[in-house]
Amino acid sequence: MNLLPVFNLQRFWLLLKMELFRSKKGILITFVVTFGMLFTGFIIENVFTSHRTFDAHPVNYALFLLIGGFILSSMTFHDLGNPLRRYSYLTLPASTFEKFFSMWLLSTAGWIIMFSITYTVYTWAANSIGHVFFKKMMFLPFQPWSEIPLMCIRYYLIFQAIFLVGAVHFRGYVFPKTLFALLIFAMVCGFTFYLIMASVIHPDTECTKACNPLKNKMILQYLHIAQWLLWWILAPVCWIISYIGLKEQEV
Amino acid sequence: MLKINHLSFSYSRKQPLFKELNLSLPPGNIYGLLGKNGAGKSTLLKIISGLLFPETGTVDFLGYNPGVRHPDFLREIYLVTEEFNLPPLSMKGYVRFYSPFYPRFDHNLFDHYVGEFQIPVKQKLSEMSYGQKKNFLLSFGLATDCKLLILDEPTNGLDIPSKSQFRKIMANAVHEERSFIISTHQVRDMENLIDPIIILNEGKIIFYRNYEDISRKLSFSRSSEMPNEKEVVYYEKVFGGYHVVSENDGNHETRMNFELLFNAITANSEKINEIFNN
Repeated sequence: MNLLPVFNLQRFWLLLKMELFRSKKGILITFVVTFGMLFTGFIIENVFTSHRTFDAHPVNYALFLLIGGFILSSMTFHDLGNPLRRYSYLTLPASTFEKFFSMWLLSTAGWIIMFSITYTVYTWAANSIGHVFFKKMMFLPFQPWSEIPLMCIRYYLIFQAIFLVGAVHFRGYVFPKTLFALLIFAMVCGFTFYLIMASVIHPDTECTKACNPLKNKMILQYLHIAQWLLWWILAPVCWIISYIGLKEQEV
Repeated sequence: MLKINHLSFSYSRKQPLFKELNLSLPPGNIYGLLGKNGAGKSTLLKIISGLLFPETGTVDFLGYNPGVRHPDFLREIYLVTEEFNLPPLSMKGYVRFYSPFYPRFDHNLFDHYVGEFQIPVKQKLSEMSYGQKKNFLLSFGLATDCKLLILDEPTNGLDIPSKSQFRKIMANAVHEERSFIISTHQVRDMENLIDPIIILNEGKIIFYRNYEDISRKLSFSRSSEMPNEKEVVYYEKVFGGYHVVSENDGNHETRMNFELLFNAITANSEKINEIFNN
């Protein structure tokens, strides 16, 4: 099978425009619901809190960026979920790479940029409203380039790829199915890890950087490799799996 | 234009649908792909469109392997399936977003077909009737100026005026560089339109002849008396007599009855092919 991608910028732009137009209603509803929930939470927290400082913006940003993005990524190839929509999606004259790349771009850069801008604007508005109604509170501004948002974006870019695989391979209920698959995978990994490590780590062992019970043990090397794989290899592998999955779609 | 060589395909390992299927379709014709339900018509069309991949064998359309789904291939083929799902767009919106993918899309021609089919222009696609949606897709497909237009059961759900309109439009839209494949089991709707006729039965092409050959070799008649089985190719009882297919012994041409031909071939393909091979 020829896996070389075919790419034409003009056609890709047409595809992006079409996808954005088709999903405009869904995007609008997602944003209204997300920021409606955030604002309601903001008001409730300020009414009932005993703190003097409101500093929950970065945590809320992280939470909503991840959950919202994972749900959005699960919906990317929703045309494949319906046999009739699959016909028109697969026969649309654009290459598989263009179709994959358009969805990847919309669910990564598209979502991160749109959410971050809207969230920043929302925090300005929420903080201004908060200053008026809750005068005793101090509202910390949200800085999109600070450590927590950037770390969160990095996590999102890696784990979003798993939901992209789910979107290509599962038919319907993609988000819960992917979560369930992840849960099973995590349980298997956890159990395997326990079997390997049970004899090394005792219940009363405290693992810190300074006092690592795995220090000078071969297993630590494997853990570092696993960590490296997670940060640098997991996402590209998932993208390739999604691309091949899309290429091999039949009706 | 389209060449299928030694194609094998199966949905389950136990029952292969196609085994070593060969087919060659030159451009400039309206091919009628006929067959009973489950004969493999829709599957064959999906394989040609790149929506299913053959197990073995090759499919070649203008030098492209449909399974790769290359954009240049996809813009030369347009498939109108029996059932379809249209996005919640207006007709104008659909054309605005989808037509740029087809570089030879002719907007004037599209408007012409929409007018001919009397499709309400201002109505949303989702609010249209099944027949109107089908006619819209057909108009769009014809306006793309693709080299191969594939229609799966196109007359299902169309009213009588739409069926005759469909025949008229299709007959005028074909040209020497373009072909249509019409798959149907409603053979009567295709009379005076399809030529050649391809009959698929149990995954095999049991008949592939053009109209002229058929008229020259077979004659279709009606008899009030039961014909002698040995003297005819096929007959069936109808109200007040018998419809008969027999070998055409002279040069006189009779009006072809597609339904009768189809029944004759599926009932006795060996005998019919023997007549054609002589």
